[in-house]
Amino acid sequence: MSKEFIDSRFHITRKHFLGKLSLGLGSAALGSLLIPDLFSKKEEPLAGLGLPHFAPKAKRIIYLFQNGAPSQLESFDYKPMLNKMMGEELPASIRMGQRLTGMTSGQSKFPLVGSHFKFSQHGQSGAWVSELFPNIAKVVDDICIVKSMHTEAINHDPALTFMQTGAQQGNRPSMGAWLSYGLGSENKNLPAYCVLLSRGRGNGQGVYSKLWTNGFLDSVHQGVQFSSSEERVLYLKDPNGRDRMDRRNMLDQLAELNSMNFQEFGDPEIQARIQQYELAYRMQTAVPELTDFSKESDNIVKMYGADCLTPGTYAANCLLARKLSESGVRFVQLYHQGWDQHGNIVGEMPLQAQDVDRSTAALIMDLKQRGLLEETLVIWGGEFGRTNYCQGSLSKENYGRDHHPRAYTIWMAGGGIKPGITYGESDEFGYNILRDPVHVNDFHATVLHLMGMNHEQLTYKHLGRRYRLTDVAGKVVEGILA
Amino acid sequence: MQKTRTVVLNIILVLQVFLLFLFLFDDRIQLPVWLQVTGRLHPMVLHLPIGFLIFLVTLLFLKNQFKKKSFNRLVFICLLLISLSASVSALFGLFLSLQGDYGTEQLKQHKVGGVVLSFLCYFVLIGYAYVRKRRAILYVGTAVAVSGLLYTGHTGAVLTHGENFVFAPIMKTSTKQISLETSSVYQIAVEPILEKKCFSCHNEGKSKGGLVMTAIEKFKQGGKKGIEWVAGNPDSSRLVQYIHLPLADDDHMPPDGKPQLTATEIFVLESWIKSGADFEKLLADYSDTDTIKNWVTIHGKANDVAQPEKVYHFPAVSQSVIDKLNTPYCSVFPLYQGSPALQADFFIRASFNIETLKSLSEINDQLVVLNLSKMPLKDSDLKTISQFKNLEKLNLNFTDVDGSGLTELKSLTKLESLSLSGTALDNQYVESILSLPELKELFIWDTKVTEVQSNEWQKKYPTVKIVQRLFNDPTILRLSKAILVNEGIIKQGQSIQLKHSLPGVKIMYTLDGAEPDSVSGMVYDKPIAVTETVKLKAIACREGWYCSGPLSVTNFVEGYKPNRAELLTPVDKKYPGLGAASLTDGLKGFTDVLRESAWLGFGENNFEAGFDFGVTPPTIKKLVLSYGNNIGGYLFPPTEVEVWGGADKEHLKLVKKFKTEMPKGYEPQRVEALGVDFEPTTYSYYKIVAKPISKLPEWHSGKGQKGWVFIDEFFFY
Repeated sequence: MSKEFIDSRFHITRKHFLGKLSLGLGSAALGSLLIPDLFSKKEEPLAGLGLPHFAPKAKRIIYLFQNGAPSQLESFDYKPMLNKMMGEELPASIRMGQRLTGMTSGQSKFPLVGSHFKFSQHGQSGAWVSELFPNIAKVVDDICIVKSMHTEAINHDPALTFMQTGAQQGNRPSMGAWLSYGLGSENKNLPAYCVLLSRGRGNGQGVYSKLWTNGFLDSVHQGVQFSSSEERVLYLKDPNGRDRMDRRNMLDQLAELNSMNFQEFGDPEIQARIQQYELAYRMQTAVPELTDFSKESDNIVKMYGADCLTPGTYAANCLLARKLSESGVRFVQLYHQGWDQHGNIVGEMPLQAQDVDRSTAALIMDLKQRGLLEETLVIWGGEFGRTNYCQGSLSKENYGRDHHPRAYTIWMAGGGIKPGITYGESDEFGYNILRDPVHVNDFHATVLHLMGMNHEQLTYKHLGRRYRLTDVAGKVVEGILA
Repeated sequence: MQKTRTVVLNIILVLQVFLLFLFLFDDRIQLPVWLQVTGRLHPMVLHLPIGFLIFLVTLLFLKNQFKKKSFNRLVFICLLLISLSASVSALFGLFLSLQGDYGTEQLKQHKVGGVVLSFLCYFVLIGYAYVRKRRAILYVGTAVAVSGLLYTGHTGAVLTHGENFVFAPIMKTSTKQISLETSSVYQIAVEPILEKKCFSCHNEGKSKGGLVMTAIEKFKQGGKKGIEWVAGNPDSSRLVQYIHLPLADDDHMPPDGKPQLTATEIFVLESWIKSGADFEKLLADYSDTDTIKNWVTIHGKANDVAQPEKVYHFPAVSQSVIDKLNTPYCSVFPLYQGSPALQADFFIRASFNIETLKSLSEINDQLVVLNLSKMPLKDSDLKTISQFKNLEKLNLNFTDVDGSGLTELKSLTKLESLSLSGTALDNQYVESILSLPELKELFIWDTKVTEVQSNEWQKKYPTVKIVQRLFNDPTILRLSKAILVNEGIIKQGQSIQLKHSLPGVKIMYTLDGAEPDSVSGMVYDKPIAVTETVKLKAIACREGWYCSGPLSVTNFVEGYKPNRAELLTPVDKKYPGLGAASLTDGLKGFTDVLRESAWLGFGENNFEAGFDFGVTPPTIKKLVLSYGNNIGGYLFPPTEVEVWGGADKEHLKLVKKFKTEMPKGYEPQRVEALGVDFEPTTYSYYKIVAKPISKLPEWHSGKGQKGWVFIDEFFFY
C-alpha cells in the first residue's frame, strides 16, 4: 500500500508541476512582501545572551531622573523672545490646538512668561545655561544638550512610565530591566539594576515601584531599591548572634528545598528566588564597602557638597551612584522629586537646582578623573517640559508653568555621546520643535545603541508576540553619537 | 474595406514623409502652440504601438486558432494599427523634443530609435501588403520591430526617469567616500539633498529650465533665468525662493507630485547659501558660529565613512575556558557577541587573590580590557599584567601600586588607556609609560604627582591626554549635620548615639535646648546616657569647613508604663488612631501622615485620658506629652495641660496646671515634646486634660477657626 502512496506522489504532470510551482513562488513572493528581510541572509541573533550585539560605547548608565519635569525654559533652553513678549497671549499659530492639562484648560488667558533667571553662555561650545546651574555650566563642554525631546503623555504618571518603560501603561519592563536582561550583571555581587530615591524641596510627585519593574521579564531583572536611611539595603546584616557561616548553611539547605520544589513544579520563579538569595548573600560583603562614605577624601566630599554625607539626599545618591557604577552596576537609576512647579517657580526652582547642581556636576567630574566617563552614560532630565505660558496668575515676582510634552530638554554625557554640542532646536517660543525631533522611542533606541544593543533585536516573547523597549518605533539619533 | 485600406495607407505614407522632414530639419522649425499640445501627448500615445505590437506577437502564436484568411486579415489590421500609431507617436515625440528641456545625447538616441522604428513598421506593413514572400517578412519584421521597440522604449524611459530607474532598488548603492576632514561641506551636506530631490530633472541629460545641477561648473552658471543664488543671502536666492512658493504655483520646486524638501533640507540649503555657497570650503574652514558648521558637525557623520570596527586577529578561546575563569570575584567576558577580545573585571577587595589574576594567562592574547580598580595589587604584580600583550585598557585606580613596577608595562605596546587615580603613584615612575606607542589617555588624579609635573608632561607628550584633579575650589563650605544613629523611642539604659561620616569631625551638643557652638556645649565623645526625654541640639565642626547647622531632635525615652489607659472624651472620627492604645504603644507618628494609628486627633472637645498604675504605683515627678506641631495644617500645641491624680477615677485632685506658650508664627512641622514637672507623687490613677486652641490667631491663614491637638504618646518619669 505504501508503495502506491509513494508512486502516486510521482504522478504529477508537467502542467501540474508548473502550476504548483507558480503557487509556491507566488506565496513566497507574497511572504517577502510582508516580511522584507525574509530572503536576506541576516540571522537573528539570540537575545538575552548577556553580551552586546556589537562593540558598545557605554558599559553602564547612571540616569539622574528629575522627577516632576523641570522647566527647560529656566534651565537650558534660552528663549529671550518670551521675556520680550512677557504677558502677551500665546499665539494660536504656535499652540496649534495642542491639548492642555485639566489644570490650565480652564484658563481664559495664556500669557507668555520669560525666565526670571538670567542666562549666559558657557564653555567652548557657548551653550546657554541659566544662573540656577552654575556648576553644570562648568562641565557644559562634557555634555550634549538635547533640546528637541518630545513625548506623547501630558500627565506625570503616564509620562514617567513612558520614559522608563517605553509604554504609557505600566505593564512593560523598564529600561534598567531590559538592560539587565540583555547584558546581565557585570559584578555578580551586586544587582544589575539599582534604584535610589531622594526628595526635593519643591512641589513633589510620586515615584512608584512600577517604574523599575521587570514587567514580563524574569523577576531577577527588577530594580533593587536602596533605602534612604542609614542602612541603605535593608536586612543585609546578619542577625544578632549569627555569623556568616550560619547564613551560608541556612541558604544551602533552603536552596536544596527550593530545588526539590522546582523539580516538582517547574516554576521558573523558584529558580529566580534561589538566585536572589545567592545575590543577597554576596551583597552582604559588597554593599557595606559601597555604602561606607567615610573613606571618601575631603576633596570628593567638597566636590559633591557636604550633603552627600546625609543619606537619602540627592548628593548622597550621586556619590553612591558613582560607587555602584564603578563597581559594575549596569544601570543606576536616581529619582529626585520636587520639580513640578505649577506655581512659585521663582521660589522653588532655586532650591531644587541647589539640590542637584553641585552634585550632578561633581558626578561628571568624578567619573572623568577616574577614566570612567567614557564608558558610563549619564542622563539628566525629566518626563516632559513645561509650558511657555503662565499657569495661574502672572505677577512681576512669580509665576508657574504647566506640563508641556511637545518640546523639552534633557542632556547626556559620557559613554559614546558627542560632548559639547547642542542637538535639536525648539522655536523661539520654546513651544514646538523646529529641528531634529527626538521622540522617547528614539531616545531609548539611542541608549540601547550606545550599550551595544540593536533595539530591534533586544526582544522578549510574551503573550504570543515579541516585545521591545521601543515596541514598534524608534530610530537611533546618529547626530549625538561621538 | 478596400477603400479604407488605401486611405489609411496613404495617411501613413504622408506621416512618414512629414516625420522624415521634421527629423532632418528640426533645428529650423518653429513649432506652433497647438502642436506643442500634441507634443505633450507623446507620453500617452507612445503606449499604443507597444500594445498593438504585443498583440501582434500574441496573434502569431495563436495562428492555429484562426482560419487562414481571417488570420491574414487580422495580421494586416494589426500591422496597420502598429504603423499608424508608431508614426503618430514618433511625430508627437519630435514635437515634444522641439520644446527643449532635454539633454542632447540621450534624446538623439531616442529620436533616431523612434523614427527608425516608425519606418520599420511601415516597411513591414508595405511588405506584408504587396510582396509575395510575406511570411518571412512578417516574422523577421516583427522580431526586428520588437527589438527596435525595446531600444526606443528604453532610451525614452532613461530620458524621463533617469539612468538605472528599474534596477536601482536592487543595485548596491555605491557609498561615496565622504569624510568630515577632507570633503567639502557641499559634498557632505548639500549634494546629497540635491541628488535626492533635484538631480533627476536637472542633470546633463534632462535640464529643466536649462539648469544642470550635477556638474558644479554648470550649476554655478544657473539656468535660463540666470544664477540661482546670491551668496550670503538665501532670501534673495531664486533657488530658495522657488522652494518657498506655494505648492500650487507653477514655479514651485520641486514640482507638485515630486518628493518635496523637508524643513531640515531647506535649512541646510539656506545655511549653506548664507555661509557663502562655497563648493570647496572644508568644514574646518567655517567659523564656529556658522549654523552650517554646527549642523554638519552633528549630522555629517551619517554619510561619513564608517569608522571600521577594530578587527582582532588573534583566535577566540572556547566558551569553556571563559566559564572556567569566571568566579564571583572575577568576571571574564567577550567585548560583544562573536568578538574574540575579552575583558576581565575584579571585584571585592577582601576576596582578591593574585592567583586568579595569574590564571588569566590562559587568555594572554585575548585579554584587551583589564579592570583591577580597588584591588590590593602590588607593584610586583605588574609583571603578571605585562604578559597580556594585547591589552588596550588597564584600570589600576585605588590599587596599592606606587608606580615602581610600571616599567614592566613597557611591553604593552597596544595600551591606549591607563588609570592610576587614587594610587600612591610617584612622579619619578610616570615617564616610563608615557612613551608607550599607542597610549592616548592617562588618569592620575589623587596621586602624588604634582600638577606642575603633569602639565610639563602634557606639553612633552601632546598625544596623551593626561587627566589630573578636576575640582580645585578653595571655597570653604558648610559641613553636613551629624546623624542620629538610634531613631525612635529610646529604651531605659540605652544611650543616644551620634555619628558623622567624615573622619575627624567634632560634634558639640546640648540637651537643654540651648544653641551649641564650636566652643560652648559638650563634646560628643561617647554615647549620651539619658533617663528621660531630652531636646538634643548638635553641631558638627571640622577643620577646613564651617560648622554644620544644628541637628535638633527630641529624643523620647521610655518611662513608667501604666497598666491601663482609657480615653475619657471621644476622639475625632477622622483621626481615631487605635484609641487609648495609641497613647502608650511606643509608636511614633510623622507630622505629614496624620491618618495613621500613632495619632489621636482632637478638635471639637478637650482631650481627656486616664492612666491606671495599679496597686503599687511608681513615684512619678514628670510627664512628657508628645504632640504633632504642624501650624500650616492647623495642628497647634495644647493651650493648657492639666494633670490630676488620685487613688481612682472618682477621687482626683489637681496636681498641676500648665499653660503652654503658643507659637507666634509658622514653624517647621515636627513631633514636639511638652514636659510637665510636678512634686513627686505616688498616685494610682492620673487624668490628663489637654485643650485644643479654640480660635486660631490673627496671623494664621485660618484665623478665628478651631485648631487641633494631635496626641502621639505619653511618657511618665
